[in-house]
Amino acid sequence: MGKTARYVVGRVLGAALSLLAVAFIGFFLFRVLPGDPVRTMTEDQAVSLEQLEALRAEFGLDQPLWQQFVDYVVQLAHLDLGTSFQYRGAESVAGLIGEKLLPTILLVGTATIISAVLGLWLGVRSGWRNGSVSDRVNTGVALTLWSVPTFWLGLMLIIVFAAGLGPIPDIFPAGGMRDPNVTGWALVPNVAMHMVLPVTTLVAVVYAQYLLVMRSSLLDEMGSDYLLTARAKGLRDAAVRRRHAVPNALLPTVTLIAIDLGGIVAGTILVESVFSWPGLGNMFYEALKVPDLPLIQGLFIFFSASVILMNLLADLVYPLLDPRVRR
Amino acid sequence: MSATTSPSVPRHLAWARRARTVRRLWREFRRSRPGLLGLGVLLLACVAALVAPLFISPVELSVSRAPGPFVAPPSWDYPLGTDKFGRSILDLIWQGARVSLTVGFLATFMSVFLGTLIGIAAGHYRGWTEAALMRFTDWVLVLPTLVLAVSLVVVMGRGIGTIIIAIGITAWPVTARLVRAQTLAVESRPYVERAKVLGGGHWHVMTRHVLPNVMPIVLARTTLLVAGTIIAESTLAFLGLGDPSRISWGSTLQEARDSGATSAGLWWWILPPGIAIALVALAFTLVGRALEQVLNPRLRERL
Amino acid sequence: MNWSSFGHGSSSTSPAADPAATRPRSTRWAVGILAAALAAIGLVATLPGGAPSPAAASEESGEEPTTLTVGVVDPTVDSLNPFTSIYSTPTQIHRLMYDYLTMYSAEDATPTEGLAEDWEFSEDGLTWTYTIRDDSTFSDGEPVTADDVAYTYNTIMEDDSGAMANSSYLDNVESVTATDEHTVEIKLARPSASMLAIDIPIVPEHVWEQVENPGDFSNEDEYPIVGNGPWILTDYQRNESLTLEANEDYWRGAPGFDRLVYRFYKDGDAVVEALRKGEVSFVSGLTTLQAQALENEQDIVVNEAVGKRFAGLTLNPGAEAKNGESIGDGNPALRDPEVRTAILHAIDREAVAERVYSGKLEPSGSYIPSRYADYHWEPDESEIIAYDPDEANRILDEAGYARGDDGIRVSPDGTRLTLRQYVHSDIPEYLQIAKFMEEWLAEIGIEVETTPSDDIGGFLDSGEFDILFTGWTVNPDPDYIFSIQTCDVRPAEPGESYQTDSYMCDPAYDQMYAEQKTELDPDARAEIVQDMQQELYEHGVVIIFGYPDMLEAYRTDVIEEGSPQTQPAENGNIYGQDGYWGWWSAQPAGSGGGSGDDDSMSPVAVGVGVGAVVVVVVGGFLLMRRRSATAGQRE
Repeated sequence: MGKTARYVVGRVLGAALSLLAVAFIGFFLFRVLPGDPVRTMTEDQAVSLEQLEALRAEFGLDQPLWQQFVDYVVQLAHLDLGTSFQYRGAESVAGLIGEKLLPTILLVGTATIISAVLGLWLGVRSGWRNGSVSDRVNTGVALTLWSVPTFWLGLMLIIVFAAGLGPIPDIFPAGGMRDPNVTGWALVPNVAMHMVLPVTTLVAVVYAQYLLVMRSSLLDEMGSDYLLTARAKGLRDAAVRRRHAVPNALLPTVTLIAIDLGGIVAGTILVESVFSWPGLGNMFYEALKVPDLPLIQGLFIFFSASVILMNLLADLVYPLLDPRVRR
Repeated sequence: MSATTSPSVPRHLAWARRARTVRRLWREFRRSRPGLLGLGVLLLACVAALVAPLFISPVELSVSRAPGPFVAPPSWDYPLGTDKFGRSILDLIWQGARVSLTVGFLATFMSVFLGTLIGIAAGHYRGWTEAALMRFTDWVLVLPTLVLAVSLVVVMGRGIGTIIIAIGITAWPVTARLVRAQTLAVESRPYVERAKVLGGGHWHVMTRHVLPNVMPIVLARTTLLVAGTIIAESTLAFLGLGDPSRISWGSTLQEARDSGATSAGLWWWILPPGIAIALVALAFTLVGRALEQVLNPRLRERL
Repeated sequence: MNWSSFGHGSSSTSPAADPAATRPRSTRWAVGILAAALAAIGLVATLPGGAPSPAAASEESGEEPTTLTVGVVDPTVDSLNPFTSIYSTPTQIHRLMYDYLTMYSAEDATPTEGLAEDWEFSEDGLTWTYTIRDDSTFSDGEPVTADDVAYTYNTIMEDDSGAMANSSYLDNVESVTATDEHTVEIKLARPSASMLAIDIPIVPEHVWEQVENPGDFSNEDEYPIVGNGPWILTDYQRNESLTLEANEDYWRGAPGFDRLVYRFYKDGDAVVEALRKGEVSFVSGLTTLQAQALENEQDIVVNEAVGKRFAGLTLNPGAEAKNGESIGDGNPALRDPEVRTAILHAIDREAVAERVYSGKLEPSGSYIPSRYADYHWEPDESEIIAYDPDEANRILDEAGYARGDDGIRVSPDGTRLTLRQYVHSDIPEYLQIAKFMEEWLAEIGIEVETTPSDDIGGFLDSGEFDILFTGWTVNPDPDYIFSIQTCDVRPAEPGESYQTDSYMCDPAYDQMYAEQKTELDPDARAEIVQDMQQELYEHGVVIIFGYPDMLEAYRTDVIEEGSPQTQPAENGNIYGQDGYWGWWSAQPAGSGGGSGDDDSMSPVAVGVGVGAVVVVVVGGFLLMRRRSATAGQRE
């Protein structure tokens, strides 16, 4: 028991430490960003010198760096991520993140689940029929899609399915998460429609990973002795595959999902931009251009914290799935 | 091998052994059709990139003095059409290969170099060093890569060097982990133990024994990584963070997007750069996978 | 990103233990996924949003409200609070929601009546009296009175939090009083020519006085937002959409459409596709290529409007703070007016218009865009500084700038004519103009080194530049845009705040600026303004290339063609006006046509959407059943 407890505590502490490091980096990295937020925000507007000064004071930018850092730390200690420079109508950065969290999770969650399921299913079929035509085709298609830049694929999908090309009708929306002024249950099919293209893009470029990992893990397993034993016992192929080979081959794939969350965040930034999806990814990218320091810091911490958390979960869940690791 | 024997003999033997291994690996590699295909495409791309200046004059690439008609669809004179400045898209793709491939290679080498360095150090020294290095590696792994790269480019200003650095220092952790695992495996082999007992120092063990055994895996990983960095460069350029003074596939896509090419129906401006990126990335991936298969027999097709 | 490569073999360990210990997890996976899907569906259904029931008129008639949907790319709505919002999109929205004291006419952007029907000023110009109309009411029924004006202006002047967005308009004001229900009296410290250009939205006192801190008030919490403009804001979804309903009781007349929706997009191509599909009915900010492609489409008409911005660059005239200390290290040659004149002769504005903007730029060297017909100046024959490289070379030769061996001129005191040029890295047209500059100036023996930058302002801070690109939107009242080229707005000392755009300091110009600021006779003021433009043109520190066109397009099957009033009347724009004319005057196409394309989806779309949901649910069930059915098999 002691060993498990130590493992858990160790992992949790490690995660906490990482988070702390992220918080510190989050401050210094972005203060180095070029650009004066006040100047960028008031560009082209008829503002007086007093107004500029007032804005600077409001944002705390007239303070020396160490003072700003102290304020930042104190705020963080209260779990307050500050107020965005740009979105002054919103209550706080935390509030903004909360608002845009659901759209991003909807997109990312759906895409991850679908690509994992698709990848695993195809990976199993491919691995089992290793060397056959269907294996080659599966793997080939997956690899090709994986090599395509995400944003480019998104643009192509918009051209073909949202704009309509030749005989293909333009049935999908050109962007956004939903049509304005639709509420209640009618939202479900509406949002689903808007999700189709962005999710397809995300899935297409990512599922290859799961497919290939599953396939190679399965191939590893298939060469094992215990499977020969199972076969010798008279088990049907499908049963052998399902009850023995697949579960064991599943393990590396599970960790892969957790580890690649950073990559998923990246994909989100691009897909949200191309498809005008109102989520966190694009908010971050836009904030960099100002630079909207509290928002950038908050989002950076949030993204990193999510990945750290997912990794922690994976670390804690993996031993449950694989008894070998536990011992 | 006694330490008093002249050192040139064992070294000569080692090199001969390596040459035989390389020939054997090449024979195995040749059996993989996708791998050969990928290699062919890569060689073509590299050669094309190298000779590009011989065929394309700066005038043809100049925004102000390009000779062609504006946004013309493909024709005999301009097989891939022209852009809004009258430059031939074919020329842009050809020329763009230079930057895209260069950034791809350099950024990859940088990250592989860093990853290998850290991985070998962690695997070899163990103890505190390993724990600290691995903790650091895990932490960098956790940072969202595109977010970090974008931030770095914004901070450091746009330019080819910045992009290489930004991609390079965000992509090394996976290599580091792999190299460390391989280092551990190598160092547990008997002949390495023997070398240590015979007085081989850290440097000797790391460079003479670990490194050559780690290189094959690193090579395979490198090839796969280049695919990713080429896509990364195009992504950064697309987001408006590329080097504005250079032509790359990503920058061509960005110019197309900025000019509204997609909704204006100028498919010849949008398709070729994306296809070029996909082709080259795919080629690297195929070669990388073939290499991995060659090095790890279990991954080969079942007979 | 797919560049953190997938690791197969990252954790390959050979199986050693009995695998029968692991039960198939597939059933649980399927259940888990199904549960997640259902949760997602539930969450989506509860998403906030959607306007409350539309204006009474359409409710009674039982018809769909006529809707004008505008597609906007990347608008930042920083705040819906008119006291604090500084970005342009919310400022435009405020023009629709709230009335202003005076407005700019659709004809030619000259002052016309707004909330104030009439106005007059005293002999000495220090007291202005506005007569407030009596037929304007707020959307909650309360009449609009002079008290609301006084309240709004006084809040800005007295309350720090209220000053953020608009205090600059009232800098010169000493007091604002409502002498009676329909009269506002404003007392000034000095006479001002800009009293008909106070761009401050008038807010309802009876609503806002209940708020403790006007600057902190979110204004996003309760809809509809009480206002007195032609439109009433009824819904706002951050980064997604904004909905406004027509104010039927608006004193100038109700708008043509029942409903106005702004839909936010992040991609310029996506919004054009949305226009083609009918998802939106109006798009602005098109690129030249997009406009050309849309011109050929049925049901879509393209409006090419004269621009409000100028594109240009500034030469470093020897940046100095007001205390005389020099800032940065501009090339001293640029302090010589001869050199600047030579550069003026080397610039080919026609080429910029043709090759960089594909014709969608009005070439001009004047500071005030041509849309402001009264103010705009064009040099006549004798005053033109034409594109003439030979003349430029002659001027430089005679001024003693001999060419060196490498062709680059050297000044008499030995400084090489090498200029550092900084250009916005995210404005493609500027990058191209920068290349032209390199070529033009090379012809006259000046070397230009271009560096794109994301932080042009930083170079202005440090003064370490020779050529810096610039561009500004010019408002109907030119006072502000002129002010940024005066000596007075330079930093007091190096490192202090400043507003100058170029470090220009020309006493003649400053003199004229002071005059126009207090000249109350519009014609006399226009004359001074024209002289100022000539001075800028010849002084050569601020070099203007021209005014990029504003390209917009709309669907004629939703909006009656030609119905939106442009500003100015000839070649004007519809979106981004100084006023609400465009949206107010737009009429639905045909009779009641243009029902919300965005409100109803095509049956095919709905079918696919529902189908997708069904597939996920049914698929999940099937997966589950397959697994459990065969789980019974034992070894």
